[in-house]
Amino acid sequence: MTQSTQAGLLEPAPGSDGTPRPTARPVGGGRRVLRALAPLPWLTPATALILFVVIWPVVSMFLTSRQHFDSMGFDQGSAGWNNFTKLFDEPDLPGVLVRTVIWVVAVVGLTILISLGVAQLFNKQFPGRKVARWMLIAPWAASVVMTSIVFKWMLNPSNGTILVLMHDVGLMKNFNSVNWLSQQTPAFIWEIVVAIFVSVPFTTYALLAGLQAIPDDVYEACRLDGAGAARTYWSITLPLLRPALLVAALINIMNVFNSFPIIYEMTGGGPGNQTSTTTLFMYNTQQTSIGEAAAMSVVNFGFIIVVVLLFLRASRWNSAED
Amino acid sequence: MKRRVLALTAIGVAGVMSLTACGSSSSSTGSSGGNVTIKLLAADYGTAGTSNSTQTYWQGLADTFHKSHPNITVQVQTIAWTNWAQVATMIQDKQYPDILEGDAPQQFAADGLLYKLSDIMSSSTVSNLIPVFAKQEDDTDGTAYGAPFTTSARGLFYNKKLFAAAKIANPPQTWADIQNDAAKIKALGGGDIGYGLPLGPEEAQGESYLWMLGNGGGYVDSSGKYAINQAANVQTFQFLNQLVKAGDTEPGPASTNRQQMWDAFAAGQVGMVGGSGAMIPDIVKNGKLTNSDYGVVPMPGKSAPLTQTLGVHDDVVGFKQGGHADQIKQFLDFVYSDQNQIAFDKEYDLLPATTSASATLSGQDPVAAGFLKNVPNSVVYPSNTNWNTVLAKLKQTLGTAASDNASQVLNGLQTFATSNQ
Repeated sequence: MTQSTQAGLLEPAPGSDGTPRPTARPVGGGRRVLRALAPLPWLTPATALILFVVIWPVVSMFLTSRQHFDSMGFDQGSAGWNNFTKLFDEPDLPGVLVRTVIWVVAVVGLTILISLGVAQLFNKQFPGRKVARWMLIAPWAASVVMTSIVFKWMLNPSNGTILVLMHDVGLMKNFNSVNWLSQQTPAFIWEIVVAIFVSVPFTTYALLAGLQAIPDDVYEACRLDGAGAARTYWSITLPLLRPALLVAALINIMNVFNSFPIIYEMTGGGPGNQTSTTTLFMYNTQQTSIGEAAAMSVVNFGFIIVVVLLFLRASRWNSAED
Repeated sequence: MKRRVLALTAIGVAGVMSLTACGSSSSSTGSSGGNVTIKLLAADYGTAGTSNSTQTYWQGLADTFHKSHPNITVQVQTIAWTNWAQVATMIQDKQYPDILEGDAPQQFAADGLLYKLSDIMSSSTVSNLIPVFAKQEDDTDGTAYGAPFTTSARGLFYNKKLFAAAKIANPPQTWADIQNDAAKIKALGGGDIGYGLPLGPEEAQGESYLWMLGNGGGYVDSSGKYAINQAANVQTFQFLNQLVKAGDTEPGPASTNRQQMWDAFAAGQVGMVGGSGAMIPDIVKNGKLTNSDYGVVPMPGKSAPLTQTLGVHDDVVGFKQGGHADQIKQFLDFVYSDQNQIAFDKEYDLLPATTSASATLSGQDPVAAGFLKNVPNSVVYPSNTNWNTVLAKLKQTLGTAASDNASQVLNGLQTFATSNQ
């Protein structure tokens, strides 16, 4: 059957009962195709939107990574694979990749650990629980940029509150003697701390919802069987929490991997590129070569695809187990 | 009302079209009828929305100019320095101004977007430009595509209060002096910074250049080729590393921006810092230091003070897409009058770009005169075509050279500069 005639028949809105309008040409096979195409009018806007805001930028990014741009951003013709060779020759790149892995693993791992504890606490009845639950929303509700800037100022070498405190309790003799955000390791640790600080609320709430969904009778049965607290947690809570845990972990992984504002505001990836992850490195590279930055984006995009594939695989494993 | 404006615009457009049509046959057709609007895009040296915004300065000029040239309207738009990247975006989007004032890299000329300077400025104005800066606007073939508009020169600011407290008699002349004086100020124990060394991304290239010059180094060799990793520069950064390690500077210079150090100096917490006249408004605004509490001396070098200081300038260029060369020329000749040049430099504590305005200002303002004395033989940044790209890399990376791996960082930069031609 030709697509065009069917598409033409689809033009008028189908009847309210969901079946296509009866046509003058009752063709058995044609009707089946027609029925298969019926969802098109509903799908087209969403598909068009996805094509426009997702696929087109991706295509454009690939094209950009193969072009040569001058410092003013004018296209000077094709660059072949030069941008990629230049990118892989960057002496900073290996460090950036290693740091990105550390960044994702440390932030997501610690966030989940802390959130498991906090969610457990918030699942218990205690006076002021409502207030405590509300307070946890604050770091989530506040702009990440704002949080990062606040931390940056708290660490200011001459008058940051954290350093003032250290000075007052005698841990530091003179102001202006330490600038953590200018040293690779301390700066990166502080950035990880801030990233955990802003990730914990969402993760806690996701896990809390998971905990509340575990029925009480399971615990009751467990108690009757004589299981201790640790055993109960390991054999009952954790397995039943797995769907929530999985979602929380994967959303966090993607979020943290793509995270830009924390490092940008606190150190700008500097000094040099010593605290850059791939997203920051992309930004800093863009200042000298747009094409090379686009090549970095393509590489980053590859990572994300791998993460998404892992996600799909993991969720299939999850539903199979259930 | 609206329709009327539209009609006027239409006439304006028609006028422009006829002008450009004539322009192709004979170079100067003069002002035939029709009103023309030229767009001026300029950097804001003040704070947008306040009375010291540069918008005020340019709007004043545009209004005065419009009175004497009723058929030329100048439309003014200013952009904060912190948003300057927006200019590149506008140009990429083909939103060309007629005149751009600020940072105008050689790349614009290389991309064929600009008028030659001789098309947009009369020869008397051109010959009045301070030669050392005007020469920098030349393309590789020796044609000028822009003019310096405002300049500044660097010197060493020192805090006389801290110097007195640390019992230092004289301002520093050599690197060793800086090292000793900074150590003494630090030893006061008040948490003050001896020497403010801003090697962060804001202007790592400026501070570094001042130190390189003190050891006979620089970004390029005598033939104009990049020589970022020359021995003199490596030695310079090794000295800086020593200074940083001893705690004679602020902690973490590679992440410290110029403005932070200027603010700290204005707050009286820094013994010495490299600065230009543009720092004086900060000091006045902060109110911690009076005019007699600080001094300005030539930047110390390894064994003697620099005889040539670093001169920095911002440019004016004309874009040819609008086809308004004549109108631009009339306006620029007006802008470069002594009176208008000096008004700008007084407002922002910068220096003029013309010889005659410099002479006049020297007579009026002793502080400016101190800086102006050094301007004619100042050292400027390289003008290699890819300097803009190299500059972006320098800003990000150069500060990390003040560490144990000075030569490694400088070698990397040299490779970058020569392989991205």
